[in-house]
Amino acid sequence: MTKAAQNLLLVLLGAAVAWITLVTDEYVNYVKPGFRPLLVASAVAMIALGAVGLRREWRDDHGDHGDHEGEHGHDHGRGPRVAWLLCLPAVAIFLVAPPALGSFTAARDTGRAAAPPPPPAEGYGVLVPSGGPIDMSMGEFIGRSFETQSGLRNGLPDVQVRLTGFVGPAHDGGWRLTRLKMSCCAGDAIPFQVTVHGLPRPREDSWVQVVGTWTPPRVPDPASGGHDLRGLSVQPIRKPKNPYE
Amino acid sequence: MTDRAGTRTAGAHGAHGAHDDDDLLPPPGWSPGGTARSPGARALGGFAVLAAVLAAGRIWVAPHVDGAAVDAWTTIFVAICVQALPFLVFGVTLSAAITAFVPPSFWNRVLPRSSGAAVPVAGAMGAVLPGCECASVPVAGGLMARGVAPAAALTFLLAAPAINPIVLVATAVAFPDAPEMVVGRFVASLVVAVLAGWAWLFFGRGEWLRIPSRPAVAAGAARWEAFRQAMRHDIMHAGGFLVVGGIAAATINVVVPAGWVSGVAGVPLVSVLTLALLAVLMSICSEADAFVAASLSQFSPTAKLAFLVVGPMVDLKLIALQAGFFGRRFAVRFVPLTFVLAVTVSLAVGGILL
Repeated sequence: MTKAAQNLLLVLLGAAVAWITLVTDEYVNYVKPGFRPLLVASAVAMIALGAVGLRREWRDDHGDHGDHEGEHGHDHGRGPRVAWLLCLPAVAIFLVAPPALGSFTAARDTGRAAAPPPPPAEGYGVLVPSGGPIDMSMGEFIGRSFETQSGLRNGLPDVQVRLTGFVGPAHDGGWRLTRLKMSCCAGDAIPFQVTVHGLPRPREDSWVQVVGTWTPPRVPDPASGGHDLRGLSVQPIRKPKNPYE
Repeated sequence: MTDRAGTRTAGAHGAHGAHDDDDLLPPPGWSPGGTARSPGARALGGFAVLAAVLAAGRIWVAPHVDGAAVDAWTTIFVAICVQALPFLVFGVTLSAAITAFVPPSFWNRVLPRSSGAAVPVAGAMGAVLPGCECASVPVAGGLMARGVAPAAALTFLLAAPAINPIVLVATAVAFPDAPEMVVGRFVASLVVAVLAGWAWLFFGRGEWLRIPSRPAVAAGAARWEAFRQAMRHDIMHAGGFLVVGGIAAATINVVVPAGWVSGVAGVPLVSVLTLALLAVLMSICSEADAFVAASLSQFSPTAKLAFLVVGPMVDLKLIALQAGFFGRRFAVRFVPLTFVLAVTVSLAVGGILL
């Protein structure tokens, strides 16, 4: 792998990362939104490194014959062949533009029940019906549902909630509304799933908002994570900017 | 590639020492008949293996691959690579800066004279000086060439990639709800590095280790050039292996039936050994392996700790580098020692902490 190829590879990879962070917003499909500045900085560093290397080689080709690379135990002009693999992420980003994880990942995990998310430090407050449906994250709904099933009173059965997620497979007489929770990057995404009853199932993988009320699960078992919603209305929405929670 | 470099550069730059058997080896281009035949035979062998893999894949893998699976695989693969990339770039920046800018006299001033005491000090220095594993082997070789005791240099070689600040931060980011992973990684890696150094001190014999000769010292403007080239070299090495790790992790996440993974993950000792072996095969740079470990969510924390401790110390890339720098006789002894120590200490630390 010549030095020119290595420098070009650096520029390509930097350009791919710059593309998904600066030009489109696809990086949220893969990592947390807060990671953006670090990604941009490293993209700039790689493009700069590659560009300086290319310029240097251009000058050397027109000047004396190459500079000696001094120390190191293995050659440097020829980089390792494994480095060609660095093309793969760039190729994947540009040619495949992989989407956010969806129902495939959610379905794969049905064997493992996700542990209920830890409640916030101050605990969930008691919900008070306020007239309209309350917007709630899936994590909070599941946490409150878990508490309610364990006997804690937090007002969940008395209010209408509005949940956002994508449509999963049919399950247990209803269908699953899912949102994936990412703790670090898409590689470790865990699904938060709620079973919706009483509404026809929309197209799989479409994003919807469901208004409904909590209902006790058909199979009562807080440990296995059954969380059910009696749906009142469903509305298709555009995919949110950050598809993960 | 690496152990032939000794012969290739011996004539040209003269920087890497004369060793008996290497001097007797003819230069690579000597017998055109021999070299012309073996690449062809190698290519044929490679294609035969590829054909076998493709056939097996058609029978066993293709029925399960569909659009959704490919999408999920690609998303996870890209996610791991993108997440790890900034850590890789910054880690490489620091290690290249050390390689290019830190003067050799610094080491002689910092390490104590006695080898036994120098080992823990060198291990502790690994916490302060960031070094990707690709850089730690040449740096350790350079230390030995400058007169540092080999045991201390080896301890530094093992410790620096595993406990430096960048790696610890990456581990903290990858396991946001489990700070004990960071502590466990630090403690276990340091213990393994120090034990390995002392083991070498007591049981190692000089003739097993081929100390690289003193590398050329750049000065002035050439240092920036050395810095840039060290960066490019490290990113190429480390980036390639990061992609391999991303591929493996994405495949485990998507292709391997969930039942298998949880089956293996369930058995205590087998899961630890499996991840330790996986760490050796994947050869991910230590700044990035925390993210791959976090994605293997079905395995126990102790197994993931073993993955994190073994990875920066023993992997295919390091074995190749060590054999190339210090000789095969060294690698054959040091690699198993390190692996066994790493697994044992991970089990112990994991049992206590996790």
